[in-house]
Amino acid sequence: MSGPTNSDHVIDRSSEPVFELRSISHAYGRNKVIFGVNLSVWPGEVVGLVGDNGAGKSTLLKIFAGYQPPTEGALRFMGKDVRFASPAEARAVGIEAVYQDLAIVDQLSLWRNFFLGKEIVRPFGPLKVLDRQRMRSEAEAAVAALGLTRIRSADETVSTLSGGERQSVAITRAMHFGAKLLLLDEPTAALSVRETRNVLHSIDRARAHGLGVLYVDHNMSHVLPVADRIVLLELGRVVRVLDRDEVSIEELQDLVAASAKRLES
Amino acid sequence: MDSRPNPAPSPAAAATPRQRRRKSWAESLLGVRELPPGIGLVAVVLFFSLQTGNFWSPQTMTAISTVASTITIVSVGVTMLMISGEFDLSVGQNFAFTPIVWAILFVGNDVNEWLALVLALACSAGVGLVNGLVTTVFGIPSFITTLGMFFVLEGINNLLISGHQLIMFDPRASMEFLGGRIATTPFYMPLIWMFAIAAAFAFVLARLRYGNWTLATGGKVGPAKAMGVPTRRVKRRNFVLCALFAGLAGCMQFAYIKGVTQGQGQNYELLAITAAVLGGTSLFGGSGTIWGSVIGAFLLATIQIGLVLIGVPGSFYVTFIGVMLVIVVIANVRLGRFGGSQT
Ligand SMILES: Nc1ncnc2c1ncn2[C@@H]1O[C@H](COP(=O)(O)OP(=O)(O)OP(=O)(O)O)[C@@H](O)[C@H]1O
Ligand SMILES: [Mg+2]
Repeated sequence: MSGPTNSDHVIDRSSEPVFELRSISHAYGRNKVIFGVNLSVWPGEVVGLVGDNGAGKSTLLKIFAGYQPPTEGALRFMGKDVRFASPAEARAVGIEAVYQDLAIVDQLSLWRNFFLGKEIVRPFGPLKVLDRQRMRSEAEAAVAALGLTRIRSADETVSTLSGGERQSVAITRAMHFGAKLLLLDEPTAALSVRETRNVLHSIDRARAHGLGVLYVDHNMSHVLPVADRIVLLELGRVVRVLDRDEVSIEELQDLVAASAKRLES
Repeated sequence: MDSRPNPAPSPAAAATPRQRRRKSWAESLLGVRELPPGIGLVAVVLFFSLQTGNFWSPQTMTAISTVASTITIVSVGVTMLMISGEFDLSVGQNFAFTPIVWAILFVGNDVNEWLALVLALACSAGVGLVNGLVTTVFGIPSFITTLGMFFVLEGINNLLISGHQLIMFDPRASMEFLGGRIATTPFYMPLIWMFAIAAAFAFVLARLRYGNWTLATGGKVGPAKAMGVPTRRVKRRNFVLCALFAGLAGCMQFAYIKGVTQGQGQNYELLAITAAVLGGTSLFGGSGTIWGSVIGAFLLATIQIGLVLIGVPGSFYVTFIGVMLVIVVIANVRLGRFGGSQT
């Protein structure tokens, strides 16, 4: 096994997608950045979302994740209309995200970060207290399973970790809790070659388990080997949707570069 | 709970056995955030014990413990709020406002003393709710919101107290309950309340989900929200908590002194923040401990009373506190202690 592969993989697109965006538009104040985007992710499918800086990839991902509601359009999860009031509601149905800019709370220990918003509690008289032992050991086990050997203890403060290690903690957390849909915004941006390969393998395994994955990356040689479909975003609009068999890495790079060039002129 | 795929360890991970390393005993002790202020308190106590013969007298103990108790109770709320990333500069005025309301109701208007107390505390919580709503809904710095509230309450206190005789000579049951003497000891009830409240919130902070959310909200609000923490609600609750404790401590002070003036609580907002900071709470949110603030409050009280004992004019002590505060913060920044974690 030399690397992640998706060639022997068939996706049944006649079934319901896990998640669907229907004519989504979004504006930050008066600055409109997403225009009528339609985008579906099926179970067991990895969708690569690519585009120039500022195209609106992170904005779309935050809409998927319930971090911000779109100004227009509808979200459908497993065939039902949904409206997430907060990321907590999205997480409750099995959607997990690794955000580009909102990964980790530096002051907290690893296990507190890992279980933030999904704390395991046990009864203690009339109260529910944090089950610290269990969260520590589960966090350590999960981090070990993704191959982050340098993290010694779940009590370690995250601010003492390197940028890549922090990123890895966030990815591990998403993989651990994600049950239906993973949203990964440039997850490998700070990672070494070995850890990047681990992440790509994990994406592969998530797909094999029937999860939908939305994967944002600028590096086409990361995107193409794992993606089943590639969506090219330009200035908040979907301009191309490609099956992975339709393109090579070089052609994909040319497409994105051409898109960027159009914007300059 | 959740049905999730449990990915088997990848080959790369399986090949590298992971070294597990627990912290040594000495490391754990150094990691105790209450240690530096604790050492400071011991040093200050030693100093005054050696300088004056009557440091350990019942009178001195009474004075230190009552001053420290009310500051601590205010400071517990302030600490929770600071950990969640906000400030409250109105606690000092609230410390006067709440007992004024209480006293007007039951001394001036013969409302049942307990009912009056509940109503007064509801007013103090209401102040916190306004602080919290204005700050989170309009997204302005709480420094400004609560500075505004400081002036609003100061004006209201002036208005309420004029023409009222807010002195209660015959102690009532509710006053004994909040501020009476603990039988056969030189100590007063606020000391017990203080320990109970501090213990409760030390537990809340370390062991409850709410504590985790408070730490995360103050640590970095974006990631906390992204993980589903209701960050605005957490902040609002801490505003209410902070104001409620300020009001409660004010009522204890009234019950202890048996009277209230509009000057009550002067500088308390700053003393409560100072106690928290001396105890290791970060000014930027995200870290701090309740017991640290308790130690910080005792440090303030010991210095205040101790300086009087050795003959320094009473009102001079704030100068001393000011210098100490700045030195402690410089030391903490230098040692990088503000980044510490809650394990
Ligand atoms: N919080 C925000 N407030 C206002 N405008 C924003 C905000 N976040 C993003 N934008 C704007 O929205 C547009 C899309 O940004 P977005 O972050 O979605 O791009 P992106 O495709 O993820 O880019 P990159 O590849 O650099 O991560 C940009 O023009 C950006 O200026
Ligand atoms: Mg982005």
